[in-house]
Amino acid sequence: MTSAEQRRIVVVGAGMAAARLVEGLVARGLGPQVTVLGKEHHAPYNRILLSAVLEGTHAARALTLRDPAWFAEHGVDLRLGVRVVGIDRDAREVETVDDLGVESRVAYTELVLATGLIPKLPPIRGVVDRKGHLHPKVHAFRTMADCRDLLAVLPDAKRAVVVGGGLLGLQVARALAGRGIATEIVEGSEHLMSRQLSAPGGRALARDLRRLGTSVYTGSRAVRLTDEGLVLDNGFTLSTNLVVLTAGGRPAMALARDACLTVRRGVVVDSRLASVDDPAIHAIGDCAEFVDADGVSRTTGFVSPAWEQAALLAEILAGEARAYRGSRSVARLRATDLDVAVLGEPEEAVADERTEVVEISNPLAGSYRKLVVRHGVIVAATLVGDLSHVGLITQHYDRGTRLGPDEPGALLLPPRPTAPTQLHDSTEICSCAGVSAGEIRACSSLEQVVESTRATTGCGGCKEAVCQLLEQKIAPVPSG
Amino acid sequence: MSVSLAAAAPSPTGTTTHCPYCSLQCGMRLERVGRTLNVVEWSEFGVNEGALCRKGRTATGLRGHRERLTSPLVRDRATGEFRAVSWDEALDLVARHLTELQAESGRDTVGVFGGGGLTNEKAYALGKFARTVLRTSQIDYNGRWCMSSAAAAGNKAFGLDRGLPFPLKDIETADVVVLVGSNMAETMPPAARHLDRLRAAGGKLVVVDPRRTPTVERADLALQPVPGTDLALALGVLHHLIATDAVDEAYVAARTTGFGDVRRSVTAWWPEQVERVTGVPAADVRALADLLAAHPRAMILTARGAEQHAQGTDTVLAWINVALALGLPGRPGAGWGCLTGQGNGQGGREHGQKADQLPGYRSIEDPAARAHVAHVWGVEPDSIPGKGRSAYELLEALGQPDGPRALLVFGSNIVVSAPRAAHVTERLASLDLLVVADMVLSETAAMADVVLPVTQWAEETGTMTNLEGRVILRQRAITPPEGVRSDLDVIAGLAERMGQRLGQRLDFPTDPEKVFAELGRASAGGLADYSGITYDRIRDEHGVFWPCPATPEGAVPHPGTPYLFAERFATPDGRARCHVVDHRGPAEVPDADYPLHLTTGRVLAQYQSGAQTRRIKELPDSGPFVEVHPLVAARLGIEDGSLVTLSTRRGELRAPAKVVSTIREDTVFVPFHWAGVNRLVNDALDPTSRMPEFKVCAAALKVGGHR
Repeated sequence: MTSAEQRRIVVVGAGMAAARLVEGLVARGLGPQVTVLGKEHHAPYNRILLSAVLEGTHAARALTLRDPAWFAEHGVDLRLGVRVVGIDRDAREVETVDDLGVESRVAYTELVLATGLIPKLPPIRGVVDRKGHLHPKVHAFRTMADCRDLLAVLPDAKRAVVVGGGLLGLQVARALAGRGIATEIVEGSEHLMSRQLSAPGGRALARDLRRLGTSVYTGSRAVRLTDEGLVLDNGFTLSTNLVVLTAGGRPAMALARDACLTVRRGVVVDSRLASVDDPAIHAIGDCAEFVDADGVSRTTGFVSPAWEQAALLAEILAGEARAYRGSRSVARLRATDLDVAVLGEPEEAVADERTEVVEISNPLAGSYRKLVVRHGVIVAATLVGDLSHVGLITQHYDRGTRLGPDEPGALLLPPRPTAPTQLHDSTEICSCAGVSAGEIRACSSLEQVVESTRATTGCGGCKEAVCQLLEQKIAPVPSG
Repeated sequence: MSVSLAAAAPSPTGTTTHCPYCSLQCGMRLERVGRTLNVVEWSEFGVNEGALCRKGRTATGLRGHRERLTSPLVRDRATGEFRAVSWDEALDLVARHLTELQAESGRDTVGVFGGGGLTNEKAYALGKFARTVLRTSQIDYNGRWCMSSAAAAGNKAFGLDRGLPFPLKDIETADVVVLVGSNMAETMPPAARHLDRLRAAGGKLVVVDPRRTPTVERADLALQPVPGTDLALALGVLHHLIATDAVDEAYVAARTTGFGDVRRSVTAWWPEQVERVTGVPAADVRALADLLAAHPRAMILTARGAEQHAQGTDTVLAWINVALALGLPGRPGAGWGCLTGQGNGQGGREHGQKADQLPGYRSIEDPAARAHVAHVWGVEPDSIPGKGRSAYELLEALGQPDGPRALLVFGSNIVVSAPRAAHVTERLASLDLLVVADMVLSETAAMADVVLPVTQWAEETGTMTNLEGRVILRQRAITPPEGVRSDLDVIAGLAERMGQRLGQRLDFPTDPEKVFAELGRASAGGLADYSGITYDRIRDEHGVFWPCPATPEGAVPHPGTPYLFAERFATPDGRARCHVVDHRGPAEVPDADYPLHLTTGRVLAQYQSGAQTRRIKELPDSGPFVEVHPLVAARLGIEDGSLVTLSTRRGELRAPAKVVSTIREDTVFVPFHWAGVNRLVNDALDPTSRMPEFKVCAAALKVGGHR
C-alpha cells in the first residue's frame, strides 16, 4: 500500500458526481490527498437546477454545491479551467492543458473519471460555422456558462425552438415559455421523452404541452438553419430568434478510449467502479458504464445513480469493502405545470415476460400512469400529468416492497369520496370529555351540551360535529 | 370517589392546582365535597382558560385506588415475596446497602434515575443528594427519552433551552403555524383550542406527521413524510427559500453566524430530491416553503415526532435553520419552539437530575458553576462528581463489570418506557439493589428489592415548569394516606442516615417552599435563573417565566421573561448559530425481512407508561393496538380487530389490528402506554442528545398470534 504522503487521488471532472465523491473522501480524512481537475470555471454546482435558473424560479447564485474555499479548507487541490487531454497509464500521470495553453502533468495513484456527458450536436446545416463556432442564434444547454449566455439574450427573444424532446428539452421549453417566449419543440422520434416513455405517455405529455401553449413537432428533424428560420424535414420552417440544442449527450469517454481502456457507450467498470482493465482507474456518473449481475450494461444520465456511485467509491477508496450492484433511478421532470416521473426503465421492463403492467390513461385529463410489476414488486413506473401517490410509489419502488394484488391498481386510482358519516348513538363525539352522540342528541342547545356533558370544552375539536348533531343534520341510527 | 362534570359556577373555593399529566399543566381547582374530591374548572388561568381533557377531568381517580401502596415493601431474598416493613427499617436497609456497595465498588456503583414528572423541588433534591451524599456521577432521568434532542438543538443554536420562547397563546397571533411531529389535539388537547382560534382569525396550520391524526384534521396543509425523514424535508424547505430569494438577509447578517455554509449545504436538496427521500410530493415541499415565505409571523414547533430519532438533534437544528433563514426567532408571533411532553420535562432538566448539569441549567463541567452550587450546598467544589452516563447508557451499564450495582428510581417506569425494554429489564434484574419510589406497584416497582410508597399529586405541594418556561405551583389539596411519604422526605431520610455514616451533615429540607428557595439560590446567575420567583409570586401572577433573577431588597422585582431572543440570543456574542446538518436517515430501514416502518406515539386517554392513567376507571383502556393501512391489511389478510404479530429484530408484540386509512401505507403505529412496543423499538442513540430512536425502526407484520 502506498504511504499517505505519496497517495494522490486525481478526479477528472468537477461536476455533481465529483463533488459528492470529494465530500465522501473529505469525511474520511482523505481531503489532502485529492486533486480535482475541472474544465469549467465554476466550482461544482447543481446542474439539475439550471433550467430552474433559466425559468427564473431559482436564484443563480444558489447553485453552488461547494465553493473553492471549502475545498481549500479541507486541503483539497481544486484546479478549475483545466482540461485533461491524456492519461499516461505507465507513468500514472494525466496530461493537462489550461486556458492559456500551458501543458502540465499530474501524477496519480488512483484516477477517477467523472467527466460526464458531451452534448450531442444534431446534424443541422448552418448550426456550426466553418471554424466550429455555434451560430449566434444557437445555444447549447449543459453548463452554467450556457445558461448565462442564454439568459443574456432572452430579453430580445420572442420565439424559440428547442431541438430535442427529452427531459432536459421539456424543462428548457417550459422555462422559456415561462419567460413569455413563444416556444416550439422539435423531436426526431415519434413521441416526447422516447427513452423513458411509451407512445401513450409521450402523447399525454404532448397534449399537456400544447395546452400550455407550446407546439410540439414529433417525428420530424431539423435539417437546416436559415435566415428564415429552422427548416424541418417535413417542410415546415419555424421562424425563430433562438435555437436551443437539448438533443441529449454521450458519455465523455474519449480519454479512457485513448488510454486503451474498455469502453462501450461509457467507460466499462466493475463492482468496485474500476475499469475492467486497470484497477487504479475508476469511473463514476454519466461517463461510466456498469454491467450488472444479470449482464445488463447501463449508463445512467441521472444524478441519483451518480451520487450513489460517488458515495460508494469514496468508501472503496477509503479501504472499505463495498460493491456496487446498480442503482434504481427516478427521473423527475422539474418544470412548472408539467408533471412527469419515470421510475426505472418502464419500456425495457415491459418487454420482460415475467412482468405485469397496470396502466390508466385519461386523455380527457391529460394523464397517463403505468406501473410495471414483477412478483408484486414495482420495478418501473411512468406517471404523466397526475403525480398523486408519487411519493408512495417511489418508496415502494426504492424499497422493493412486495405488494398485494389490489395495491398497484389502488395506487393509480384517485381516493374515493367518502359517504356522509352516519353516527351511531354510542359513537364517541367528544374524546376530551368522553361524550357520545346519543348524549348530545339528548340535549337541545349547545349551552345545554356544555352545561351537562362538558363536550366541546376540551380541545374544541368536536364543536362542529356537536352543532351538526344538534341541527340534526346527521341522520340518527337507532341503537342495537 | 367521583368526578364532577358540574359546570364551573365561578367558585372561589377549593385549591388551585395543575393537572398531573402533560407539559401544558392546565390550571384546575380541586374541591372537597364530603369525602370526594372534585375537579372544577379554573377559568382565570390563562394557559387553558378552564378547558381540560379527559385525563385532567378524571385525575382524582387515582386517589384511594386499591392498588395504592401505603407501606414500604422489602423483598425477601429467600422467598422472592414482598414484605411490608416500617419506614425506618426500609430506609436503614437501603442506606446500609448503599454504603456497603459504595465501600466495595466505589461511589459510582450507585446510580439514580429520575423523571420528568417530578416537581422542580424533587428533581433538585435528587440531584443534590446524588452529588453530595452519594457523590455519584451516575444520575440521569427519563427526559432523555422525551425532549433531549430539542434541548440539545436549542442549546447549540440559541445558547438556551426553553421549550417555547413565547407564551403558547401567541399561536393565535401567528399567520402560519407549522407543527412538525406533534399530535397536539390528542396529546395536549386544550392547546388545540389555540389552533382553532388561529384558523378562525385567518391563520394557516401546517402539520407534518406520518399519520393523519385529529391534529391533521385541522390542518390547511398536511404532509405525511416517511418516518425518519423530517430532516430532509427541512433541508428541502430551506433549499426552496434560498432558491426563491425568500431569506431574510438582513436578519441573517445581523443576528446569526454560520448561515453561509448552511446555504451551500442545501443546494443538493431540491424538492424533487426531497420527494424521493421523504415521500412528500415536491409540490407540497414548495407549498410549505412558499407559505412560510409569504407570512412574516410564522411559527415552527417541533415535538417528539421530529425529535425521537438517532438524528433528532440534527432534525431540530434543520428546522431551526429554516426559522433563522426567515428571521423568525425573536419576532412577535413568530419563532421556533419545542412542544415538550412530560409534565415537568422542562423544569426536570434544569435543576440537576441530568448527568451533565447542575441547578440553573449550569454545566457540571464549568468550574464557576461548580463553585457557585458547591457554596449553596455547603460542600467543596472538588467533591462534586463530573459528568455521568446518559439515561440509556446508564441503564445499559447496570450490573456490568464497570457499571452500577444499585439503582434508585424516582418517578419513572423504566420497564415500560425504555427503548429495547426487554434488554433493559434484564439489566435491572442483574442489580444487587433496586430501590423504587412510586405510589403504585408499577412494572418497575414490581422488580424492586425495596419499594418506597410516595405521595402523589394533590397530596403534596411543589412547582413545575410548563412547556412555556412558566413556573407554576401545584398545591396540596388533601392529606396523603397514612404510611406514605413525599419523595423529599425519602431523600432527606436517606441523606440523614448516609450522612451520619459518612460523617457529614447536609441540610435536606422537606418543606417544598424551603427547597424551592434553596433551588432559587442555586440557580441564581444560571441560564434558568429562578432566584426571583417565590410561591407567593406564582400564586399572584399565575406563574412566572424564567429567567427571573432576584433583585436587591427594596428594588422592583424582575418581571420574569415571557419572551426570549427579542434583542439577543444567549450565546457569548448574542448571535444564533446556524449548523450544517445532513440527512443520514434512520438507523434501521425496511428490507425484505422487515418491510414496514414502525412508529409509536400516544392516545388521548392515556399518559406515558400508563402507570397512573391505566388505573383510572373512567379512562378507556384499549390496550395496545397496531394501526395498519387497509391496503397492507388486505395484503396480509388482516381484518379490523384481527390478532396480529408485529416483530422487529429486538422482539415481538401480539395485539389486535386497527385498520385505518389515516396512516401511511408503508408504516404501522403502536401506542406506547402499555408494556410491549418499547421492546421492539431501536436503541440507536442520537450522538448529541443520546435520545433513542423511538419513532422509527423496521418491522414485519403478520396475521395471527403464533410464530
